[in-house]
Amino acid sequence: MTGENIFQGSNLLIPKDSFFRFIDSLRSQHRVLGPIKERDYAVFREITSSRDLFMEYKTTMLSPGKMFLYKPREDILKFRMESTVSIQEVMTEVEKQVIVGIHPCDINAILYLDQTFLGTFSDPSYKARRENTVLIGLNCMQVSDNCFCSSVGTGPFLKAQSGYDMVLTDFGEDYLIELKSERAHELFDIKGEKAGHAEWSVKSGKEESMLKSFKKSIYVDGLDTLFMKNLDHPVWATTANERCLSCSNCVMVCPTCFCYDIKDEVSMDLKEVSRIRQLDACQDLRFAEVHGGNFRLRRSSRLRQFVMHNLNYTSQYGTIKTVGCGRCITWCPTKIDLTEMAKEIQRSTIR
Amino acid sequence: MKNPLLPVKATITGIKRETEDTKTFSLSIEDSSYTAKPGQFNMVGYPGVGEAPISLSSMASEGRFQHTIRSVGRVTEFIDGFKEGDVMYVRGPYGTYWPLDNAIGNDILLVAGGVGLAPLRPVVQEILERRDSFGTVTLIYGSRTPDNMLFLREIDTWRKNIAVFLTVDEVTPNTKWDYDVGLVTQLLDNAAINPVKTFAFICGPEIMMLFVSRGLSIRGFLPSRVYVSLERRMKCGIAQCGHCQHGGKFICKDGPVFLYKDMSRLADGLL
Repeated sequence: MTGENIFQGSNLLIPKDSFFRFIDSLRSQHRVLGPIKERDYAVFREITSSRDLFMEYKTTMLSPGKMFLYKPREDILKFRMESTVSIQEVMTEVEKQVIVGIHPCDINAILYLDQTFLGTFSDPSYKARRENTVLIGLNCMQVSDNCFCSSVGTGPFLKAQSGYDMVLTDFGEDYLIELKSERAHELFDIKGEKAGHAEWSVKSGKEESMLKSFKKSIYVDGLDTLFMKNLDHPVWATTANERCLSCSNCVMVCPTCFCYDIKDEVSMDLKEVSRIRQLDACQDLRFAEVHGGNFRLRRSSRLRQFVMHNLNYTSQYGTIKTVGCGRCITWCPTKIDLTEMAKEIQRSTIR
Repeated sequence: MKNPLLPVKATITGIKRETEDTKTFSLSIEDSSYTAKPGQFNMVGYPGVGEAPISLSSMASEGRFQHTIRSVGRVTEFIDGFKEGDVMYVRGPYGTYWPLDNAIGNDILLVAGGVGLAPLRPVVQEILERRDSFGTVTLIYGSRTPDNMLFLREIDTWRKNIAVFLTVDEVTPNTKWDYDVGLVTQLLDNAAINPVKTFAFICGPEIMMLFVSRGLSIRGFLPSRVYVSLERRMKCGIAQCGHCQHGGKFICKDGPVFLYKDMSRLADGLL
């Protein structure tokens, strides 16, 4: 019961009202972001009151990590083009922020993005935002049709023990609050009932029942070698040619897709150049183009790159890329499903 | 914290035309502590135009180094217009390098195709500096035509110390050509190579590297001693932008120099 041992720490049962008052109190020194309901859908936005929060949300189109930590588009450098060129570094705003209500898949996605942007080469703006952002996770009480986090260990309850600040579990009138960082201990000044063995059991029971409600699953063991042996499997060409539009929706909504493009934008008077970076997608025709050729000219090879990056190339960071959020399936105009593609390869090789 | 995407000024101290579309730029940057190992690259560019990954074509010392650049894209065509004294912007060096130190006491085979000789030139330069550290050194260099050959005069000066074999796909009419005609793979047998004690460093078009690597494998080279240098589209050079990903590897950080055996039979590659 290692899980229980880790659990014996700073865990509190707090009435939801008190928790939301705590969130409101944070607004004096932080920008507070969380899920709100917009028409029939939930989105992460800045909130002006905890009453805005829609904590029962199922999923969002965009993940908080790729909205508030790794920005879809940002200036990285400015060049002043006079008789000589001067370079100005773009200062990242270091506003303190809190993101509340992040599902386990999206917390894990942020931990994945850390590998890219806090790895061998650290990105100054990502690092500044990451250090100034309090992450409050929320264990899932609902499973959407395309969720498959339970197959890859990233949900429905958060297993990671560090890299974020708190995680909440819905206990009806209360939240079970687990404090996971020193910063959380400093910020969270509300006295509550200490949670112990009983609460751990209740939490485990809730997780058990959630695990039973998944409709989608994938068996990832051995997928890496299986894919490498099936680079020419018909599923790639068939799916790509019959259904893939190369629209890049999958990449844009993916919480772990980190690729970016760098572009220089020249002002109308030619005096200033902004070097910007913005999200890019391996589904774009020119993504792997070089002089004299294109390594992924075919749509099938671009689709295969997306699927294999998510399910196969675990050697990259020692962890599987997908967090099982299912967004790429939900937002694909033709409902291409990477778990189904993997299963088709698995089925055809078992025989 | 230093922004890894911040380039520095590199002043052009000399330009030498190599072929119709290729020039060697001698560059000098303020930071005299800048060093690079043979096989590494810089991101080279200019504000408003962009950046491109370009291998160093010389050894680097005290902030001085060379880039041999073929004018074939937006960035390289812009650079082609530069004159001595102009400034370009560079950052680096990035990536892995040819493992010369591992080859000490052994023979070395260099195989280059076209502009692929540029990243191998600093290897030759370093070998010449400490020639006694290595056994037999052989360079096999192929190009489309004699006009496309890089560093021809310099190669002549190398001949005293290393064995050189040159070949072209075809000889341009009215051109004097005293060497071979045909593929570089055909020269593998002409050179006196002892496969079990030789390190091979190969750089050129991917299809050429495939056939050379296979040819060496057939001749008994150890898979742990056959290296290639790969090229992919790159925007960042620092394993973030994702463009150069190949089989889960970042060519910019995990490469560009790899063991051939680690990069063969991957998706979307020719090796």
